Amino acid sequence: MFFYYLKLGAVNLKRNPIITALMVITLAVGVAAAMTTLTILRGMSGDPIPHKSDRLFYVQIDSGPIGRESASGDPDPQLTYADTMNLWRAAKAPRQTPLMGTSGTISPERKDLAPFLTTGLAVGSDFFTMFDVPMLEGQAWTGAQDKAGADVVVITRALRNRMFGENQSAVGKRLTLSQRELTIVGVLDTWNPLPKFYRLVGSNRYGNHEDYFVPIEYAVRVESGIEGQVSCTSRPDPGFKGFLDSDCTWLQYWVELGRADDRQGYLDYLGAYVDEQKKLDRLPRPINNRVSDVMAWMERQGVIDNDTVVATWLAFAFLGVCLVNTVGLLLAKFSARPGEIGVRRALGASRSEIFSQFLTEAGVIGLVGAGLGIALTIAALAYVRQYAQDIALLTEMDLVMLFATIAISLTAALGAGLLPTWRACQVLPAAQLKSQ
Amino acid sequence: MIRMNKLSKVYRTHMIETHALRGIEIDVQPGEFVAVTGPSGSGKTTFLNIAGLLEEHTGGDYFLDGVNVTGLNDNQRSRLRNEKLGFIFQGFNLIPDLNLFDNVDVPLRYRGFNAAERRRRIEEALAQVGLSARIKHYPSELSGGQQQRVAIARALAGSPKVLLADEPTGNLDTQMARGVMELLEEINARGTTILMVTHDPELAARAARNVHIVDGLVTDFVRREAASLVAVA
Repeated sequence: MFFYYLKLGAVNLKRNPIITALMVITLAVGVAAAMTTLTILRGMSGDPIPHKSDRLFYVQIDSGPIGRESASGDPDPQLTYADTMNLWRAAKAPRQTPLMGTSGTISPERKDLAPFLTTGLAVGSDFFTMFDVPMLEGQAWTGAQDKAGADVVVITRALRNRMFGENQSAVGKRLTLSQRELTIVGVLDTWNPLPKFYRLVGSNRYGNHEDYFVPIEYAVRVESGIEGQVSCTSRPDPGFKGFLDSDCTWLQYWVELGRADDRQGYLDYLGAYVDEQKKLDRLPRPINNRVSDVMAWMERQGVIDNDTVVATWLAFAFLGVCLVNTVGLLLAKFSARPGEIGVRRALGASRSEIFSQFLTEAGVIGLVGAGLGIALTIAALAYVRQYAQDIALLTEMDLVMLFATIAISLTAALGAGLLPTWRACQVLPAAQLKSQ
Repeated sequence: MIRMNKLSKVYRTHMIETHALRGIEIDVQPGEFVAVTGPSGSGKTTFLNIAGLLEEHTGGDYFLDGVNVTGLNDNQRSRLRNEKLGFIFQGFNLIPDLNLFDNVDVPLRYRGFNAAERRRRIEEALAQVGLSARIKHYPSELSGGQQQRVAIARALAGSPKVLLADEPTGNLDTQMARGVMELLEEINARGTTILMVTHDPELAARAARNVHIVDGLVTDFVRREAASLVAVA
């Protein structure tokens, strides 16, 4: 009977075409508003690396001077060079990586390409394994190259295509970066996690993914330019060495632990480290270390924009208003058919069969509304993409959101159809048949 | 086929009780053609609605093909209505958005027949009323007489034991009415019991038996001869 009801639902779309069109449009607009904001919210709040987000930890040490603590009591989001390197060299976690934003000018060998400025990351070799960075060809540099600060680089597929052309191997070739020649050891496959959880400080969280990756020791050795946030509580001594020795915080640090439960052990280690540093007249504040897993770090960094949360609530409230209107329109549509209901009842339809038929009809309206809603959502996301570049990458509607749109539209239509359908079931057939 | 014992129907509001039927006793045998007559407001339609399980009676018993329908729930009544009864209405009551095939298909869907069986029955029923060629037409494309024939086909498609007709020729001109009446007689001749409400004494006279309802009470007559009716106890 379900397919019979579906067929009837499709046939009855043509009945009262104006009311039907109004219902579909009302539903579609409400669904599109809700799904547009939800798509963006999902992009912001989703777990970007679900299978290991509870084992990847962002490390903070409260390294500033006494008397200049933040109002929230939180430690600085970044580390000093000294602490970063101490932790990294100690290598107490199964995997760990410092992380520093950098930039440089690439001079292509091709004569038709002008030199261009681009951004990159200086990291440890564990970075690629820790964050499941997919390799298209080649591999990350070795631990030895890490320590030596070797002249090696991993580039993205996009940069490879730009420099050497698509489907051209780049591994082993040379890349001139800020007038220094580096050997390309690996090429990343497309990798644009959203939000850019591995670098939430001092960078666009929803885009501008880096083009190249170099060993951090290399970046320090060549005094590479820093891209990102630098925070100092006192003026550093002159020169790059002075900067490295200063209390400025500008590096980020991640560790991957074997199990989520190992977090406390690592915190204990950090506590011991701070105690050691205090003996060297460093880190004067009371111990206030933080080890946050991916989701906790994203929450701490306010990745989910409050405006988006409010907008999503408002959009769903708007969908509610649309549903109330749809209820009214469905009541009008169904109340015009007591004669048909009477006939069907006389011919053997039970109340439950009438209920199923009319609810299915509401579902068909929901499906059509979903179709239009998807089109409107895609259009709205395109509009957002055009006018809000910083969240442009969050405006892609994937399959999950596509099916969610259909499900929400269908659920909304069925919900809106309950009252009108119940009313349709109350029609007394005898009264209607005589009046026809 | 239809047996009612002291059947009554009372409509109650906050202030008023209206006795539409008062202790009706009637026994319609299989294959009978019974005309139900009476003045407006006498209770004919209420009687037909109760006979058709569209309304519940408030007193007495009603047996349809041996089944006591008193106390049956909506699903059971609907099932019984679908299997045992066919309806023909004065206003035809076809569904305007469905073509003839789909209109006749309605009761068969609720019966749960498979597609092949439904098609066979629909084609047979429409052939019986002479509308095979119009199977894809919509009701609005037919005359009143043709629409009533479709309604008859719809009623017949499920092979009901009883056909309930409420003023089946009330909206038709004389010629069309005659055609419909002849069709009903032919159906009755094949063994289907017919209970027909009518205002028209001429049509009533063509039935084998007349039931006259006045103020919710029944006077039951059996036609003994062509021109005379004899009251029965």
